[in-house]
Amino acid sequence: MASIRKILIANRGEIALRLLRACRELGISPVAVYSDADRNALHVLHADEAYRLGPAPSVESYLRGAHILDIAQRCGADAIHPGYGFLSENADFAEACTAAGITFIGPPPSAMRELGSKTRARAAADRARMPRTPGSVRGLASPEEALQIAAEIGYPVMLKAAAGGGGKGMRAIQTPGELPSAFVSASDEAARAFGSGEVYLEKLIERPRHIEIQLLADQHGNVVYLGERECSVQRRHQKVIEEAPSPVVGPELRRRMGEAACRLAREAGYVNAGTVEFLVDEAQNFYFLEVNTRLQVEHAVTELVTGLDLVHLQIAIAEGKALPFRQEEIMLRGHAMEVRVYAEDPETGFLPSPGRITKLLRPGGPGLREDEGVYEGWEVPTEYDPMLSKLIAYAPDRATAIARLGCALDEYVIGGIRTNLKFLRRVLDDPEFRAARIDTGYLDRMPGQPAATNNPAANCTADAAAVAALRFAAPAMQRPQTNTQTPWQNDAFRRGLRR
Amino acid sequence: MSLLAVDVEVDGVVHKLALERRDEGWMLQMDGRFIPVDLTEPMPGVLSLLIDDGDAGVRSYRCVRTECAGEETIAVGSEVHRVTVSDPRSLRGQRRGMGAANGALQIKASMPGRIARVLVKAGETVKNQQGVVVIEAMKMQNELKATRDGRVAELRVAAGDKVSAGQVLAVIE
Repeated sequence: MASIRKILIANRGEIALRLLRACRELGISPVAVYSDADRNALHVLHADEAYRLGPAPSVESYLRGAHILDIAQRCGADAIHPGYGFLSENADFAEACTAAGITFIGPPPSAMRELGSKTRARAAADRARMPRTPGSVRGLASPEEALQIAAEIGYPVMLKAAAGGGGKGMRAIQTPGELPSAFVSASDEAARAFGSGEVYLEKLIERPRHIEIQLLADQHGNVVYLGERECSVQRRHQKVIEEAPSPVVGPELRRRMGEAACRLAREAGYVNAGTVEFLVDEAQNFYFLEVNTRLQVEHAVTELVTGLDLVHLQIAIAEGKALPFRQEEIMLRGHAMEVRVYAEDPETGFLPSPGRITKLLRPGGPGLREDEGVYEGWEVPTEYDPMLSKLIAYAPDRATAIARLGCALDEYVIGGIRTNLKFLRRVLDDPEFRAARIDTGYLDRMPGQPAATNNPAANCTADAAAVAALRFAAPAMQRPQTNTQTPWQNDAFRRGLRR
Repeated sequence: MSLLAVDVEVDGVVHKLALERRDEGWMLQMDGRFIPVDLTEPMPGVLSLLIDDGDAGVRSYRCVRTECAGEETIAVGSEVHRVTVSDPRSLRGQRRGMGAANGALQIKASMPGRIARVLVKAGETVKNQQGVVVIEAMKMQNELKATRDGRVAELRVAAGDKVSAGQVLAVIE
């Protein structure tokens, strides 16, 4: 198969920039597409070519598959990378790309259909002899059918969108009374987010951990797993902190989960990068949850502990190259941890906080990676996910990774909008998190506001804030513009030092 | 010699501040204490503040102006503080909190977005924490709740309406 020379990136935000950089590293020309809200976005600024899709709403821009394909053909792109979200799990789009002679960087449409629908994936998991949670293996026709299945498997149950992702169209149900209205709202939310309102039910596992296996499969039948990621720190089913390796997965459990995931991939004829998600209970039993037939948001933590570049490998696989390593050559080294920085206000129930970023001071230092999609002056649009960037720390062990990430969060300042930076810092400081006593309900039990304690450090900074507020309020109070003078030549100040 | 004297409210606590030019530097008078300080602005909106803290040494603070939604906040190191600067006279005029609990409660859009659902009717009585409207932005639906018992006096939006941040959606009496 011919090598890829130009890739259209059918996405926006941090992932568009991350893909664009991978293209550059490989000598591939990156092509951006954008909605009206993203005319000034970083991925447009950095691209070789950029084409307008339409107005801001996703359905009029990033979800317009036929239009994107048309642009790809006209600009001479040989491939499309869909990133995550938007068209990434749309088998019809992947099929249309292939029919148009453009390589879709992802799995074949047949495998996407088999695994991308959660209900069909559950049936495939049965064939691959994978343990899964009790519940339906097909979509529910009505609230009445949902009630019947829920009664069979027993409450609590989980209502989920078959086409879902990112926690949308998902509801935990404790009693039959909640089910009918939850069915309607979940189906409604799923229809708007994914274009399909199909929902299904499964038994809710109490206090599970979310642990997922990263897969790579080439076109020659080679399938490998790149270890696991633990993503138990979620808020309303949306991942917030991810790490690799999982603090509770040892070599034996890793091998069993990895091999089960590879069996499923072979069963479905899977090719390219993919992720098999599991719930793991307190007794370390694992249950198949779903497959994400695309690159994950949290792929960076796997890259750091394996030393591999998943996007480079995705492109190589799409070019028809064989995987350049075997399973036994994959080594995990060190610990990586990622936090997702969101434009949301923890103090008001995590409401989204779009708006202009008036100030942006980024952290730095060794072992730190930031996959960013924003800059100072950027207006965070209301139309898309509120994720601003992913901050990832890598260190020899988990405790050092936490310390490194904590310091980075302390340095980070985002002004003009509200963010979850302080909230993330509090999670990293929490003894339960540090001891890795976490499950998927952990974060929802943590209050958005810090406990009212007398923090001596905050008292000192409050004094500084008062002085700064005074200074900012009085622009006339300029220091004389004698640039050669340092604070240490400042007489009154120096007198204060001598005592 | 310039002298600035104001009241600065930080996280709800009012401090009396005066900043006075002393030779080449500044002398801060804060709640009756005299503290030598040095201030520079290395980047717009970012202050480097050095405070002579006696035995604790000269403390260095990075103070960043992070105004958000009309509210002034200042990030100092990793702490974020809400601040209000006012001269003493205007502060006295602003004493708040009187009678507010008995007046009308306005349910305001906390962000720009679209009204997904309206959960109450005009004239209906509502309980504290009862949902009033569901607003959708950034693909997430958020329910805005009444924060006390009352009656829906006004309903100013319908499902599908686009709303801007701060817009009054309903009034509870």
